[in-house]
Amino acid sequence: MISFKDVSSKFDSGAGIEHATFDVGPGEFVCIIGPTGAGKTTLLRLIHMDILPDDGKVTVDKFSSDKIKRRKISLLRRKVGMVFQEFELLNDRTVFDNVAIPLHVQGVGMKAVKEEVENCLDRLGISDKRDHLPSELSGGEQQIVSLGRALVKDPLVILADEPTGNLDPAASLRVIELLEEINRDGTAILMATHNYSLVKDRGHRFMQIVDGEVRG
Amino acid sequence: MIDRFLYLVSEGVRSFWRSRTTALATTTAIGIAASFVLFIAVVGENLSRVINLARDQYEFEVFFDSDLSDNQAVEVAEKIGALKGVRSVSLITKDRAAEIFEQEFGENILDLVDGNPLPTGCTVTLEEPAQGRLYVEPVIKRIQGVTGVDEIRYQGRLISMIERYYEGLLAVVTALAAAVLFGTVVLISNTIRLSIFARRDLIRILKLVGATDRFVRFPFMIEGLLEGMLGSLLAAAVSYGFVEGANYFLSLFTHYQIEWHAGPVILLATVITLFALFGSMRAVRKFL
Repeated sequence: MISFKDVSSKFDSGAGIEHATFDVGPGEFVCIIGPTGAGKTTLLRLIHMDILPDDGKVTVDKFSSDKIKRRKISLLRRKVGMVFQEFELLNDRTVFDNVAIPLHVQGVGMKAVKEEVENCLDRLGISDKRDHLPSELSGGEQQIVSLGRALVKDPLVILADEPTGNLDPAASLRVIELLEEINRDGTAILMATHNYSLVKDRGHRFMQIVDGEVRG
Repeated sequence: MIDRFLYLVSEGVRSFWRSRTTALATTTAIGIAASFVLFIAVVGENLSRVINLARDQYEFEVFFDSDLSDNQAVEVAEKIGALKGVRSVSLITKDRAAEIFEQEFGENILDLVDGNPLPTGCTVTLEEPAQGRLYVEPVIKRIQGVTGVDEIRYQGRLISMIERYYEGLLAVVTALAAAVLFGTVVLISNTIRLSIFARRDLIRILKLVGATDRFVRFPFMIEGLLEGMLGSLLAAAVSYGFVEGANYFLSLFTHYQIEWHAGPVILLATVITLFALFGSMRAVRKFL
């Protein structure tokens, strides 16, 4: 489903990844670990095609970085959910409206939007917060809303970039458990984290990035 | 499809409301500037009707060479009637000229002199141009070029003066309208630019979840369109107020009243709205 073939992507600062080759199959849960600045975010951005590789080829589902046209990238992104350390929610919109955004982008009808968002909020256990603004929620709850926004479009894969970076241990554990639950239903997860202890004994595949080199 | 369209329209309205202070300032500026143009356009339209009435009175008297026979005079009149810019020709034969003389002076010219000395001729009216100034001189030259024409009499100075002032007014309206339309594009463009900056979080998230460029741009275009429409409505209302005010003052001196017609107002309001849309498209293309 996701394939990296000798992929290099470097920034002027020297950060990035070099000659990365690996595959991620459907339904896998992969933890990408490494220190800050190692290239974890670069790797996720390459999958999201927010940046394109300097060398090599990234393939996600039927989309290939060497052939994809700019206007087709939006179609790829509809199949890939993103979760960030900083939540990236719209503070002037309710939880419901934040989660509904990807469905509106896909042109889903209003009735179906309502149904799917309510199902999603139920599944994540935050349906009682549907009319709250993000600023009225705890950090953990905000991250769950962010997860809901990624999940509601039924993606092939969710890319989580340090999703627990701003959370206390209990909230972090809750987010990891939710990601695992989503993964059990068939959605692949790629989670970048520098908190190895949080994920080490949970039976997931690990990839380590050190100075741009991807191992595992 | 309709759901997505409605969502995008609602996003546009929301965007307008979020930046309402800037949007209302822009709308007001467009409205006030455009109201002056609309007022002058309404006055111009009224004047145009007066001018057309005056043009109906433009009549040239063309005198033919005195040695032309009646048949030759008919031929000359037909040639004049076929000229560009000529609407109608009425032939005045020697006998008809004598009748007119008797009507105007109360005496039969044959009683005063031997034979009829009055020349054959015709009266000529002109075609009115669809728009703009009516140029008399080229028609005069064409008539003078017809063999058998001796002399042409017309109110040249008066016609030229009326046409010159009318042409000046049209130029002023055109220049003002162009300035307002240019200003509309710049104002809307800048407002949308600010709006784009204020909503960069939303734009980033939309792109993140797979929105196309068109999807991201559409609400901003709706916002610009709304500003243009509201500015036009304001301009229509203010120009109506101007007309009512002007009519009040006119009523103190004359019975003439300026008529407020919706036609030119709707036309100009539509053009302003379209230019507002163009301004917002310019901004989204440049800054998104």
